[in-house]
Amino acid sequence: MSDLTRRTFVGSVASLGATTTLPALGQGLASGPILKKAIPSTGEQIPVIGLGTWITFNVGGNEKLRAARAQVMQTFFDRGGSLIDSSPMYGSSEAVIGYGLARIRNKGALFSAGKVWTLLKAVGVSQMEASRKYWGVERFDLMQIHNLLDWSTHIVTLKEMKAQGRVRYIGITTSQGWRHDGLEQIMRTQPIDFVAFSYNVIDREVEERLLPLAAERGIAVIVNRPFQEGVLIERMMRHPLPSWAGEIDCANWAQFLLKFIVSHPAVTCVIPATRRVDHMEENMGALRGRLPDAKMRGRMARYAETV
Amino acid sequence: MRSFPFTADVYFSLFETYNSAIWPAQLVAYGLGIVALVLAVRPLAAGARIVLAMLSAFWLWNGIAYHLMYFFQINFAALGFAVLFALQGVLFAAMAIGGRRDFRFQPDLIGWSGVLFCLFALVGYPLLGWIAGHGWPRAAAFGLAPAPTAIFTFGVLMMLEGRVPLYLAVIPLLWSLAGGSAAVFLLRVPEDWSLLLGGIVGFGLLVWKRRQQSTS
Repeated sequence: MSDLTRRTFVGSVASLGATTTLPALGQGLASGPILKKAIPSTGEQIPVIGLGTWITFNVGGNEKLRAARAQVMQTFFDRGGSLIDSSPMYGSSEAVIGYGLARIRNKGALFSAGKVWTLLKAVGVSQMEASRKYWGVERFDLMQIHNLLDWSTHIVTLKEMKAQGRVRYIGITTSQGWRHDGLEQIMRTQPIDFVAFSYNVIDREVEERLLPLAAERGIAVIVNRPFQEGVLIERMMRHPLPSWAGEIDCANWAQFLLKFIVSHPAVTCVIPATRRVDHMEENMGALRGRLPDAKMRGRMARYAETV
Repeated sequence: MRSFPFTADVYFSLFETYNSAIWPAQLVAYGLGIVALVLAVRPLAAGARIVLAMLSAFWLWNGIAYHLMYFFQINFAALGFAVLFALQGVLFAAMAIGGRRDFRFQPDLIGWSGVLFCLFALVGYPLLGWIAGHGWPRAAAFGLAPAPTAIFTFGVLMMLEGRVPLYLAVIPLLWSLAGGSAAVFLLRVPEDWSLLLGGIVGFGLLVWKRRQQSTS
């Protein structure tokens, strides 16, 4: 999405009066307590909006860009965020997270979600240790097997690490609808705490099997690519935010899309990615205020289909 | 979906960091490129060895310095590219040491195309990049960045005397297709249309040259 478009749109909606009843419109922030959900395996509560780092945090060694991402992370924590997700597949993202964590003030709430993405046990162990050093954390809160790669090998390692207290939770991920059959099989047979896949107001296939299964098995759900890497939100931005979005404290399309996702009973957390502070503030606006009920979710989905 | 691990802005910021770190190697590379073109067009004794050694140096530098030390920071696939570029450098080095090839410029379609490819790599490619907003220090420098190096290599191979060893053009072609298509279609880098099309046209001309010499 172009930088100008998203900001201009919020202004234009305000000028049309479509969202004039919304609180704190300037920053798109609703009031009230932070929305949290429990991790089923322990009951630990985490904020429903996390931070993804695919593409957006892969900025190499450029100091200016790294500092800009640190500012995004600072805003994330300032607004009540906790879970940050990354992977060795994301280029320099892990190093950039570590750069940010070393410089920001209130990182105490960090819930670190790393991934292992390689073949072979020994390489996986080495990769996870390298990731830990990049992040600069004592241990990961959550370690996930990325895209099911060599999962039958890594699941053994992760179970050992969890038993030894070297990681608090273990999980497995996919995205964009890939390998859902394999993921379902793992969810049915393995003692995992978390699962991650793509879900949004348009791509709702996971409502049929994976989300109900996660609820049944007591597995926390992280939703990735909530904006279809920008494609979905760009499409939505061509249309006015419905005035009834104010009923669930949404001041912009980002909040509309995120609240649809986190209001699903089986979803624990969503991890939108951004490289911009103002977009982060918009996203974090979905961390407060009212969530849609089932009836409102249906209305949101029908509206999204029409645009 | 835009599933590519980095943005165009990050890609060019990487060039900015890289160019700052290796300065003034760019001036040396340009000097070597001009010498290589002159030696390919007007051969001297041992000139072929010098040209091939320069190509070897360019490809090895791209593999180790650019791909492995810099591009790998943002793209895990750069590790594979580093191996392929280094292999290309070794192939040119082996041919230079073997010393059995010469250059002979022929004023025909292939010969002039070779000169055109080389001049484009030296002048045209950076000019297109500058027009597209990717001027210095965010430019892909000749000899030290893959795109102009691959285009230049096709040009030099067109001026090689006798049957063209096509194996020397396989890795440049692979880079043109893989790197060119990613840059054009995923990162929207307009100047890399020349890499994509140059690779296809360049390889086609080399195949044609080889067939001409087989039948003559």
